[in-house]
Amino acid sequence: MREFCPVESARRGAPVCTLVEKEFLPFLLRAQNADGGWGYRPGLRSRVEPTSWALLALQEFSGTSPLDGALARGLRFLLGAQLPDGSWPAAAGQEEGCWVTSLACWALLAQKESLESLARGLRWLSEEWPGDARLWWRLVRRLSKDRGISAQDDSYSGWSWTPGTASWVEPTSHALIVLHSSPAALIPSGVSRRQELAEAMLYDRICPGGGWNCGNPMVYGVPGEPLVSTTVWALLALRGNSHRTENQRSLDWLERMSGRIRSPGSLALAQIGLDSHGRRIPVFGNLLRDLYERKGIPWSVPEVAWAALALSARRNWLNLAPTDEMH
Amino acid sequence: MPREATLLLPPFSRPPSRVAIRRVSSYQTDLATLLYETVREFEVPVRGKTVLLKPNLVGPDPQGMMNTHPAVIAAACETFLRLGASEVLIGDGPAMDRDTDAVVESIRLREYAGPLARVFVDLNVDDVERVRLKTHASRLKELYLPKTVRGVDFLVSLPKLKTHHWAGVTLSMKNMFGVVPGSCYGWPKNVLHWAGIDGAILDINAAVRPNFAIVDGIIGMEGDGPIQGTSKPCGVLVVGDDPVAVDSTCARVMGLLPEKISHIARAATMLGHIQEEKIRQLGESIESTRTPFAVLEAFRHVRQHS
Repeated sequence: MREFCPVESARRGAPVCTLVEKEFLPFLLRAQNADGGWGYRPGLRSRVEPTSWALLALQEFSGTSPLDGALARGLRFLLGAQLPDGSWPAAAGQEEGCWVTSLACWALLAQKESLESLARGLRWLSEEWPGDARLWWRLVRRLSKDRGISAQDDSYSGWSWTPGTASWVEPTSHALIVLHSSPAALIPSGVSRRQELAEAMLYDRICPGGGWNCGNPMVYGVPGEPLVSTTVWALLALRGNSHRTENQRSLDWLERMSGRIRSPGSLALAQIGLDSHGRRIPVFGNLLRDLYERKGIPWSVPEVAWAALALSARRNWLNLAPTDEMH
Repeated sequence: MPREATLLLPPFSRPPSRVAIRRVSSYQTDLATLLYETVREFEVPVRGKTVLLKPNLVGPDPQGMMNTHPAVIAAACETFLRLGASEVLIGDGPAMDRDTDAVVESIRLREYAGPLARVFVDLNVDDVERVRLKTHASRLKELYLPKTVRGVDFLVSLPKLKTHHWAGVTLSMKNMFGVVPGSCYGWPKNVLHWAGIDGAILDINAAVRPNFAIVDGIIGMEGDGPIQGTSKPCGVLVVGDDPVAVDSTCARVMGLLPEKISHIARAATMLGHIQEEKIRQLGESIESTRTPFAVLEAFRHVRQHS
């Protein structure tokens, strides 16, 4: 059995796990489509979300010609997919942008030559209010007999999956992460108030025992179960408040949960969430390898990108200083 | 080429539908044989065709309460292969958790249905194509739908028998929400709620037209379904060639009035039969299998003898 231990990369001098070098990055290179983008799985059409994740992973480990060439082609696809209003659509042909705009902006953060596109994307994000932030919606909900079904404070709002619908944890977290990470000069004025509302919304939607699900912590008085992926995104979005009890309770939940995760995507995200707060999953690389070897289903581009990012010691993509050299 | 959708016809011009109820005591029963013998009676045109089974996979479910049981999915696979299908795919796009692998692992689908590499399609991230909606039952004008759903020859809805806190029940028609891709519309697919749930159920069903339905009612869910309800043993599989008729029959088995469940009643005007006299009942009778399900206060009016 091969050993997936960290090794020193001769190219950059940074520690890179062999699993990343031998498996994940080659997979991403093979999965790139001729148009420069990536589909969710090899052979599927290019879409903005998997392209953004693949680019973030390639950027993290860039410095060799195959990676840099793929990166340049991927960026061209991403820039070409931007809509005139600055947003990005989830699929080719859609005329309206949506939640993937945050991810596309995230992938452009490290690209100085794409600042104009990034600025337009951030402007769209700052101006795109969810449907549940509208005054008429709040009035209707206040008068509705259904208002007590889900326990939530309607005065808070974040970002929605698609324009004009309700705020949810994952798109709100992605928007907050990219806004926190963007150069101050590119952030439109007035966004700080939105960020405050969105952070308040996330704390309002936290599950009673810690962690987040899609955004329904309590329905008909029954507590909702948190999920790994949404908990990780919310923790990353709120990492500036890591001292808060809610954050610590959620990290505790994620740590307890990590031993029971049976899918590589969630395992990689759990490692990212814990590692960004100074905790980690013991023997993460080996657990990840075991899951990939046991699973009989094709690899997915976002999940492989998350797995590579989870094994990165640099963590440039999160704008975080590395805690130590080895994973 | 997209699968040919059956024309929308007013109820008076449609032939009667057929629905079979089979009594099944547990998931350890020989479901493959029972389902094969049941579906064979319908003479479904699947020889040499590609069949897509669309189970109801909602989220991680170690207790086996909210998702279609893998034993039923595996039995349906075997049934359509024995009936001559060239290929049987399994596909769904879970609504609450985007980690479809985690959902599939939690129900141990591979242990029942074998390797999934070639047969399982995550509909949340499949290639999509634009479909203009013709029925306008909701505020939706178009949807991007998975190419796999549009491309197969025969689509089977394979839900679990459950109550639903917004739609009253979630059966073979509501199950079609799972074909709407999360990669375009999110987790949950909130745009469907904003467009009007009942209308969206009709628009989606009119667009993708499931050809057949097999409802896992061996153990259902009552009360605050589809996730936080209570396990409800009901001991039936309900099978039929008209999703509206199947859902109407299921509602009656659950002790509910389909005519008062908005999406079923509206579907009866364009998609299938709701009236008992237009449904040819096979197998067990509704009366002999009736198991009243608890419903939330908001749906008390849909209960028989409410």
